[in-house]
Amino acid sequence: MAAVDPVALGLSATPKRAHARAGTGAPEKAALALLIVITAISILAPLLAPHSTTQPAAAGPFHSPGHGTILGTDELGRDLLSRVLIGIRTSWFSALAVVASGILIGGAVGLVAGICGGAVDSGLMRVTDLFLALPGPVLAIAAALALGPSLLHALLAVAIVWWPWYARIVRGEVRSLMARPHLDAARIAGDRGVLLAVRHVIPGLAPPIIVTASMDIGSLILTLAGLSFLGLGAPPPSPELGAMTAEGLTYVLGQPWISLVPAAVVFILAFASNIAGDGIRDVMADR
Amino acid sequence: MLAARLAAALLILLALSVIVFALETVIPADPVRALLGPSAGADALSAERHQLWLDRPLPVQYLHFLGNALRGNLSVSLTTRRPVVRDLAAFLPATLELAACAVLLAIVLGTTFGLVTARRRSSAIRLGFIAWASVPPFLLGLASLVVFYGRLHWFPGSGRLSAGLTPPPGPTGLLTVDSLLHGDFAALRDSAWHLVLPAFCLAVGPAVSVGRTLRSSLQSVLSEDYIRTARAKGLSSRQILLRHGLRNALTAPLATLGLQAGLLFAGVVVVESIFAWPGLGLYTARAIQGVDFPAIAGVTLVLGTAYVIINLVVDLLQSAADPRLRRQVTRSVGRVRAATQDY
Repeated sequence: MAAVDPVALGLSATPKRAHARAGTGAPEKAALALLIVITAISILAPLLAPHSTTQPAAAGPFHSPGHGTILGTDELGRDLLSRVLIGIRTSWFSALAVVASGILIGGAVGLVAGICGGAVDSGLMRVTDLFLALPGPVLAIAAALALGPSLLHALLAVAIVWWPWYARIVRGEVRSLMARPHLDAARIAGDRGVLLAVRHVIPGLAPPIIVTASMDIGSLILTLAGLSFLGLGAPPPSPELGAMTAEGLTYVLGQPWISLVPAAVVFILAFASNIAGDGIRDVMADR
Repeated sequence: MLAARLAAALLILLALSVIVFALETVIPADPVRALLGPSAGADALSAERHQLWLDRPLPVQYLHFLGNALRGNLSVSLTTRRPVVRDLAAFLPATLELAACAVLLAIVLGTTFGLVTARRRSSAIRLGFIAWASVPPFLLGLASLVVFYGRLHWFPGSGRLSAGLTPPPGPTGLLTVDSLLHGDFAALRDSAWHLVLPAFCLAVGPAVSVGRTLRSSLQSVLSEDYIRTARAKGLSSRQILLRHGLRNALTAPLATLGLQAGLLFAGVVVVESIFAWPGLGLYTARAIQGVDFPAIAGVTLVLGTAYVIINLVVDLLQSAADPRLRRQVTRSVGRVRAATQDY
C-alpha cells in the first residue's frame, strides 16, 4: 500500500498517542451530546424563545438574571434568553454553512487538481497557496465591509478565505488515493475521469473531510462571532451573539451580563465543538 | 534560495493588491459620491471621477492604484477626511507597541505551557488547552475589564496613558520606549500599566497555539532514539528537555507563531475597541462603523504586507534552525496545519 500522507489526513496522532488517550472518552461524548442539544435548540429556537427578540419584555430594561427572567434583559428591555436562543441558531447554522461551502469549493478545487495532475494541479495549488499566504481574518473583514453589512455577506466573506484548507487537504488525499491498488484496478476496468472520481475517489475522501470539518467548526464559530462583534453581520435589531456582546459594551461595568451572557454562549459553542472535533478525530484515527 | 522566497513573497503581495483593488471595485456604494457627499453636482462628480482615474478601464485603474500604493498614496478616508496613509502612520505606533508586547508575552507563556505540559499525558491538560483556545477574544477582553478594572481596580481599563500625564514627545511613538528615552519614569510606569490587560488578552490565543504545538512536537521529539541515547548518557531530565528536546521541537511552534499573526491582527481590532486603545484596530473598528472602505483597504494592505513579511522571516528562521528545511522553497502548509491541530 502506498504510504498515506498523515499530514494530508490531518491524523497525526500516532497509535501510541491514541492509546494514551483511550480512557478520555467522557468529555468528548458529553460534548457531542451537547452539540446534539445545540442543534435541537437551533432548529426549535423560535418555538423555545419565551419572548420577542425585538420587543421589550414585561420586566423592563437592565433586569439582572434570575428574578423572573432567566438571563435578564438588555438595555432596551429585550429578553436575553430569547435573543441568545435565536443567536445560537444563527451562529450554529452559519458555521455549518461556511464549513459546507468550504468543503464544496475547496473539495472541488482539490479534486480537480488531484485527479488532473500536471499543469492543472500546479496552477490550482498556486492559487490555493496564495490565499493561504495572506491573513484570512483581515481579508474577511475587508470583504465583508466591501460587500456591505449583512449576515449573508459575512458568511460569503469568510467562505472566500476558508476554502483553501480544504483544497489542500482534499488534493493531498486524492493524490495518495490515486496511487492505491484499487484505483489501478478501476482504471484497468475502464473507469475514467468523472466516473472514476465519483465511484472510487470521492468515497475515500469522507474520513479526512469529516475530521477537518469537525475540527474547524469551533474556529469558525469564533471567527463569525468576531465579525459580528465588529458590526459585520446582520444589522442591529437581529439577535447575533457577537453583535449583542458589542451592544452591551457600553454598560459592561454596571450591567455586565448584557454582554457577558452572549459572549459566554459563544465560548460554550466553540468549546463543545472543539472537544467533539477532537473526539471525532481520535475515533477516525483509530480506525 | 533566498531569491526564490523573496520572489514568492513579492508575488503574494501583488496578489494582495489585486484582491484589495477587486474589493474596492465590487463595493456597491459609489466611492465618489461617498467622498463628495450627497449635495455634489453631476459635474463635480464626473470631474472627481476623472481625477481619481475611475473613468478608465479596470486594468488601467489597477495599474494606477498599484503605482499609487507603491508610492505610499492611498485614498482619502471617508470618516477622518484625511489621507489614509497619514492616518495609518498616526495609529500604527500604538498597535506596534501593543502587538510587540503581546507577541513577547505569547512566546513566554506558550513556551512555558509547552515545556510544563510536555511530559504529562493527562486529559485535563488537553481539555484546558482546548478550553483556552475556545475563548472568544471579546469574552476575554470584557471579562478582564469587568474583573481587573471594574471590580479590583488593579489596572486601567482604557487608553494608553492616564489623563494627567503628557505623552513623551518621542522619536518612536512607542510610549514605553519614548518615556524611557526621556527618563520620564512616571509615564513609563503608567504606560506599561495600561499595556497589561490588552496585551494579555491579545497574547492568550497565540500563546495557547504555540503551547499546544510545542507540546505535541516535544512529545514526538522525546520519543526519538537520540533522546534515549542522551538519557543513557546520564543527562538529567531537565537537560534533555531543554538541550535536546526544545531545540529540535522549535520549528513547528515557530511556524504556528507566524500563522497566528493573522489571528492576532483580527484580535487587535477586537481588543483595541474594547480597551479604547488608539491604534490600527480601533481605527479599523471605527472605519467598519462608518463603512469607510478606503481606510479598510489601507489597513488590509498594511497588515497583509506585515503578515507576508512575518511569515517570510519565520521561514528563514526555520531553515536556520533546521537545515533539513532548506531545500523546500515554499513552506509545507499541511505540515504546519497538522502540527497546530495535534495537541
